[in-house]
Amino acid sequence: MNPLRHDFIQSCLRSASSASPNSNDAQNPEATRKYKYLDVGCGGGIFASSAARLPNTVSVTAIDPTSEVIKYLNCAIEELDSHIEGQGKESFDFVTVFEVVEHIDKPAAFLRQALAHLKPGGWLIGSTIARHPMSYLTTKIVAEAPWPIGVVPPGTHDWNKYVNPSEVREWFAHENHELHTRNVETSDNEGRIEAGDKYGVVRVEGCIYLPLLGWKWAGGTAEYGNFFFGVQKLH
Amino acid sequence: MSLRVASRPSKYLCKSCRFDLSRARKRKYGTSSITSNPQDIYDVVTVGGGPVGLALLTALKSSPATSHLRCALIETQTLPKQKSWDLPPDQYSNRASSITPTNQSFLESIGAWKHLDLRRVQPYDEMQVGDAGNDASIQFDWKAEAVRYNAPLRTVATMVENANLTRALLRRLEELDAEDCLLSSSSVASIGNGIDDPEGLNLSNWPVISLNSAGTAESSSTRQIAARLLIGADGINSPVRTFAGISTNGWDYNRHGVVATLKLEPQPDSPFSSSSSDPNSALEDFLSDDTQTTSTSPSQATNENITPSNRATAYQRFLPSLGGPIAILPLPNNHASLVWSTTPQIASTLKSLSPSALASTINAALRLNEVDIKYMLSLPSSSDNEHDHESELTWRLQHTPQPPPARAPPMITAVQPHTPASFPLRLRNASSYISPRLALAGDAAHTIHPLAGQGLNLGLGDAEALARCILGSVACGADVGDAMRLEGYSAERYGRAVEMGGGVDVLNGVYQMGGEGSLSGDGVVGGLLGRMRGLGMWVVGNVPGVKEGIMRRAG
Repeated sequence: MNPLRHDFIQSCLRSASSASPNSNDAQNPEATRKYKYLDVGCGGGIFASSAARLPNTVSVTAIDPTSEVIKYLNCAIEELDSHIEGQGKESFDFVTVFEVVEHIDKPAAFLRQALAHLKPGGWLIGSTIARHPMSYLTTKIVAEAPWPIGVVPPGTHDWNKYVNPSEVREWFAHENHELHTRNVETSDNEGRIEAGDKYGVVRVEGCIYLPLLGWKWAGGTAEYGNFFFGVQKLH
Repeated sequence: MSLRVASRPSKYLCKSCRFDLSRARKRKYGTSSITSNPQDIYDVVTVGGGPVGLALLTALKSSPATSHLRCALIETQTLPKQKSWDLPPDQYSNRASSITPTNQSFLESIGAWKHLDLRRVQPYDEMQVGDAGNDASIQFDWKAEAVRYNAPLRTVATMVENANLTRALLRRLEELDAEDCLLSSSSVASIGNGIDDPEGLNLSNWPVISLNSAGTAESSSTRQIAARLLIGADGINSPVRTFAGISTNGWDYNRHGVVATLKLEPQPDSPFSSSSSDPNSALEDFLSDDTQTTSTSPSQATNENITPSNRATAYQRFLPSLGGPIAILPLPNNHASLVWSTTPQIASTLKSLSPSALASTINAALRLNEVDIKYMLSLPSSSDNEHDHESELTWRLQHTPQPPPARAPPMITAVQPHTPASFPLRLRNASSYISPRLALAGDAAHTIHPLAGQGLNLGLGDAEALARCILGSVACGADVGDAMRLEGYSAERYGRAVEMGGGVDVLNGVYQMGGEGSLSGDGVVGGLLGRMRGLGMWVVGNVPGVKEGIMRRAG
């Protein structure tokens, strides 16, 4: 699945640069921009090490709360601040949460934590699984079946924790609205009102695993199974 | 920044990954003893500076996505000398290859084609194939398509001297400012694996190459370099392949390929050039398959407006009882390249002939029947009378039916001195083209019979596919030496090489059956096999789509 992750990141960046040709990017052309990544729930570091190899990466910070898989930055998102002192809030160009959200009890609070570390203009990129009878079939019945059919240990996934693309979209729309009203209501902030939404349009792309062929993009299947989502923090 | 992960394979590595790592660690070539990791670490190290290795390096350096990779190319010969190769316009090197349109596009896309001396390359639009065992013949060309679509005739392939191609690639590398990647006049002393340095890097499954650089007699030096990905483009006896422990399958054909550069009788101007104003009257004669000219009424004359313009023609004639086909491949200025696959005995006879006797013998091989050719080969090669061969040829030609002008091979007038040479013909295929942190390309991976001119083309196809595989890995931040990423290259090229190598092997076998005096015997059986081949050739030539399908697959 790793090549799809890089594909998706590139398509999000392309959509941003085509949407806002007069932004900072014009002064700092895409080819020479350098990026800082925060990979939350990095596991064995597959994505983190592949991001570190890209020529336009400044740094990759990878965290995971499971001590067995990683020695470096063994921490959860809530503890991250104490580990990365001196970097300041809002310091990453990309915060990636691949195959994480479906394992989190309270995804809203988790995402707010993660988003707090994003620079303005930065992207939150993640992948997760939709809650649908089809995904129950593929991820619980087939994927957690005994050998030779199954590919993950039973109990890896909890279908009730899956998140739908529509729910992700609704949540970001809700966040935008909340922040609007909060800004308008708070009158002791020097009268500053942030024009426009805080978060851009949520990009969603479905993908599917085909035996012998691997992971492939499958637009339109986002509601039924695995999907990627990407959202830009506009300011 | 370093991301340190567990340095010993833990129980979290699946069995097949652990096997790959341990297999990689056992590899060795030469008496390599590596006690410390080298400081010099490269992303891609290519062993072999022939056209395939150079094309791969050029492809990597000419693409912005991969040009940042740290590359090295190791070659025993002196590359700067090859960059300054130069021959006068009336002399051509005896090592020339037929480059397919696909590979021409590849060479154009990496910016190397424009550095060729294009006055020395010859595109040809037609291949005439005949069989000395029967009357059959077939023409490979795109004429039907050109006439149907009213379009210029498509090139079948382009003859390029190997030295011209190598020089073009070296010039392109100079243009790309990548000449520091070339480790010229260097030979591989040994290849081993690096070590797992507890205070440094774990290079225990990285190939480490020990090089001997021949400087002057006093100053030859040895150095070691580590490779994230090691590529063997180092020919049929590839040391890289030996290091990887990859075996080969195949056999020796017990045949030699005799090469030479020939001078031809100038051809009359083709009536098909697009500047000719009234092609119709000459057209029927030249397109006719009959040996006698048929008169055509004006209404039968072709009503196509554009006639194909034939720049040059390649000829191949199968000689079933003489060990293989003879091919004449066109070069500019009425020159041609000879490739004659034949028995070792005939090969040494040919090389011992004087240039004029050799010219007559080649003319005989293209026109006479096999009994006559055998007689010519039995003439003493050094005789008092210089013109023995020539007079035999002249006399016998009078008594042999000749093909119509459209399909007649050219007359050889001379053989360029010092060009006759021969090399043994073999079939080899590596049992795998990849290994962890290792890939094979070109003759190191596969060697085939030259009768279809596909050996170098397969190698260039390998270079293109491998460059694309590396680019895909770089684009998704993968380790370019990752065995799983290399699987894509193997899947793409392995089947292709087996198909091509196997295909020409079968053809070679089929076209040595049933000739006079061959193992299948003379007389009835031989004649029958000859007829069957003729039928096969007729089917390929006349059933719609078959010929075009073959040309597309080979092009």
